[in-house]
Amino acid sequence: MPPKPTGPPTVRMYNVGFGDCFLLTFPYAAGDRHVLIDFGSHPKAKGADKGYMETIARDIATHVNGGRLAVVATHRHADHISGFETKGGKASGDIVRALKPTIVVQPWTESPTAARDAHGPAFRARARAFHRSLDAMERFAAALVQGLPAVPRFVTRSQRERLGYIGEDVIKNKSAVENLMTMGTRKPAYVYAGSKSGLETFLPGVKIHVLGPPTLEQAPDIRSYAEKSPEYWLRRRRIALGGRSAARAGAIDAPPFAAAYRRSARRPAPHAEWFVRKMRRAYAEELLGIVTMLDDVMNNTSIILLFEVGGQKLLFPGDAQLENWSYALKTYRSLLSGVTVYKVGHHGSLNATPKSLWTLLTSSSTGVGKASFKTLLSSRSGVHGGEDDRPTEVPRGPLVDALKEQSQYTTTLDEPDVGQARVVPL
Amino acid sequence: MAAPDDARTRFLTVIGQDPAVRDRGGHILRTRVAVPAEKLDPGPRGYRVSVVDYDCTHDVLYAPAELGDAGDAYATVDDDRLLTDPRFHAQNAYALIMRSLARFERALGRHVSWSFPYGHQLQVAPHAFREANAYYSEADQGLLFGYFRGARRHTIFTCLSHDVIVHETTHALLDSLRDRYTDASVLDQAAFHEGFADLVALLSVFSLPDVVETLLHTSIREDRQRRPGDDPEKSRHRISEPWLKRSALFRLADEMGKELQLQRGKALRSSLDITPARDLLSRGEFVLPHRRGEVLVAAVLTALVRAWSRRLRALGTTAIGRDEATAVRRIAQEGAAAADYLLTLAIRALDYAPPIDLRFADYLSAMLTADAEVSPRELPFHFREELVAACAEYGIDPAADARSGGHWRAPESDPTITERRPLVYDRVHFESLRQDPDEVFRFLWENRTTLGVYPGTYTRVMSVRPCMRVAPDGFVLRETVAEWEQGMDVHARDLRRLGLRTPRGMPDATPVRLHGGGTLVFDDFGKLKFNVHKRLIGPGQQRKLDEMWEQGGFRADEAELRTAAPGGYFAELHRQRER
Repeated sequence: MPPKPTGPPTVRMYNVGFGDCFLLTFPYAAGDRHVLIDFGSHPKAKGADKGYMETIARDIATHVNGGRLAVVATHRHADHISGFETKGGKASGDIVRALKPTIVVQPWTESPTAARDAHGPAFRARARAFHRSLDAMERFAAALVQGLPAVPRFVTRSQRERLGYIGEDVIKNKSAVENLMTMGTRKPAYVYAGSKSGLETFLPGVKIHVLGPPTLEQAPDIRSYAEKSPEYWLRRRRIALGGRSAARAGAIDAPPFAAAYRRSARRPAPHAEWFVRKMRRAYAEELLGIVTMLDDVMNNTSIILLFEVGGQKLLFPGDAQLENWSYALKTYRSLLSGVTVYKVGHHGSLNATPKSLWTLLTSSSTGVGKASFKTLLSSRSGVHGGEDDRPTEVPRGPLVDALKEQSQYTTTLDEPDVGQARVVPL
Repeated sequence: MAAPDDARTRFLTVIGQDPAVRDRGGHILRTRVAVPAEKLDPGPRGYRVSVVDYDCTHDVLYAPAELGDAGDAYATVDDDRLLTDPRFHAQNAYALIMRSLARFERALGRHVSWSFPYGHQLQVAPHAFREANAYYSEADQGLLFGYFRGARRHTIFTCLSHDVIVHETTHALLDSLRDRYTDASVLDQAAFHEGFADLVALLSVFSLPDVVETLLHTSIREDRQRRPGDDPEKSRHRISEPWLKRSALFRLADEMGKELQLQRGKALRSSLDITPARDLLSRGEFVLPHRRGEVLVAAVLTALVRAWSRRLRALGTTAIGRDEATAVRRIAQEGAAAADYLLTLAIRALDYAPPIDLRFADYLSAMLTADAEVSPRELPFHFREELVAACAEYGIDPAADARSGGHWRAPESDPTITERRPLVYDRVHFESLRQDPDEVFRFLWENRTTLGVYPGTYTRVMSVRPCMRVAPDGFVLRETVAEWEQGMDVHARDLRRLGLRTPRGMPDATPVRLHGGGTLVFDDFGKLKFNVHKRLIGPGQQRKLDEMWEQGGFRADEAELRTAAPGGYFAELHRQRER
């Protein structure tokens, strides 16, 4: 008879500032087994010790203590994988690598052979295009970050910070990505909705369901996820960089007309003032709109994992947003009943906990009730959203209120103890 | 030279299509268009359009154009000046926007306001940003045109493209005439804004004889280059429908695509490449709004070419012989006249279309009605016959009974009304009915059963517009057009109680907004001619609910709030075309 966990798992939620890092420990008679779900922080937590990611990595090593470890990287945003970065054998990623994880699980979009694996020629073509788009997005982000100093001066400081933050979040962290691809002792698992998780033999006696991300075949209608062509990002780059190519970022591109035709826009004529103000605002919003789209596309490649063990259901959705959830909510509705632990999606953003998901988790017929329902929120205020007092702040106020009212709520939100863990016994 | 104060129009130089379209001498094809005369401030800033040449990307203003109140300063300047002088760009945008506005007002027989409630002047930025995009922004009350580096390393200005300017102006005008057409609704309605703007833009370009003539000459020259051995004196081009399509429409599509890398530039080519089929609109490919809109464009342009060809046959022009210049001019003039006629028809049809939940079938019936009202004998182009036939090939049949010719029927013979009673006019005042929403509402309320009004909910008259249409033969038709609407907010669980079926799989708690409404068209004597309406409760509403649910139209409710797309509805619509 295959072994079974001898008791309920423990969840350690690390305070990484803005990011995610969860260590799940499953007790077995032959020794604990651990699953590290994400390890990233971006932007760097203000006021924290310089080496807080290494501190966390060492704490993980202490708890793994020679036992077996598996790694799940839900998607490639820096706030989920920056901790896997390697540097001369001393960085946090080197410490995790030294633990010799048995397997690393990532979404299908990270698989180098995703295009080949997709079923049917049409989908292979779409998957290839999608991969090219992801690469184009990263190049776009790199060019955006490089070109930020030349963005017109009417773009406010907070808007520039947000542009820089998301741009950096998307830029490919080469060493972390390579580390994830190669650190496992077994072949890496690239998963999609309904596939095996790759953790079945690692966690015997635990049922693991992959609820997302859907493949292009499963959810061909997810346009914002699949139909951003590389050309689209190339064109967008022209706006973001004032027309300069990535190679020439930093150089000043001249206006299209001779100097004799140009006039200062510092003080437009009274009749033009209102329209110029509106145009400037629209321009800044356009820039933010592009980076937000970039962020959303990447978030929607997140793995959604559900662990079932000893009467508990633990739901870890990474940063999955509405488009990713739509497929899961349509296809796995019954599995989503009776969830006991919910890692709040995308640090508490607007679109990552759809209303119908929250209803499933909390209603009297499908939820387990406040006393048994635990929620975990890893977030930092003032990093994401909420421009111009719009209701897009992360975490979203009404959601935090609902978490407090309807669940046993644990959070790192704005807590100063960066580098420390909260233990959530089940 | 100053114009006399009573001059009604002035002529201004504009670029015929875009700088890539050249005349026979290799120069940018330009033409002069008539615009309403007015006293302009520098900008130019007039009574309906105010140009503010601000460039966001470089945070700089460009010198305003000073057009005064007469003259045409750019009539004789060289091509280089046209491209490098921002003041000409401002003139080009101003003139084509004003021409489009005047074209709408002429077709509808009345003044047309912009959609925004405060202010009378549409703001225009000819060089708004460095991007291959141009859009109408409701929030900014303006049209924003971008510029970008083309494939041949030179700068391409969208404000120099005739079709782009007219396309965006049409969005602004349609938004004013039918503001419900941007609501979430049936697939056709989402597609209509883009398809209609394309159609008006293409017909506007095509109604310039200079442009059509140049396209035809270029095609003939290329044909000769392909067959160098032919003696130009002896070779004759047979004028056929396929030849006209290839030489004019396909040629225009290629010219537009050459200069502008916008998807919009490819729209015409994309439409022309659609192979007609009855089931097109039910195919997955044609669910996306811009693609679906191209089906409407394809069908109407097919009718245009057939009507043009038919007219040439009737005139005995079947080939181009030795006197090529004269023959081409004549063919071009007939083509431009056909396009101009069809443009009037396409715009005027808006007054006979329902104010909500528009389907292509409704629009076709509206076009047929608009034409039948002013031109009972179908002359000279036989557009009604050609439109019905061409649209049928693309799977679009008139919404109205084919036995009536596909146009709307009088309300007393409306087959959707089960409880028919004679309309009551006794208690309404005719003069008030021409301008007063309260009086129209009184008429609507008195006749609510016959007019298909659901009595149990909020109803209002949205507008009352007296019109004076001029028929091709000079006959004047006076009408009054009024729109009414009604709405009801319910949940899916309430639908059964109202006599509707809940779409399969829709949760009971889903909020649902039901909409109904119609367009009333009164004749010169205050008698109701048409009530083009969509019922709040009925089979049409059921089809709409099913279609919207199927297409994820209710999904927005999933999120607490979806943030508005930057630049608004139209900027996003155009971005979708690029994906």
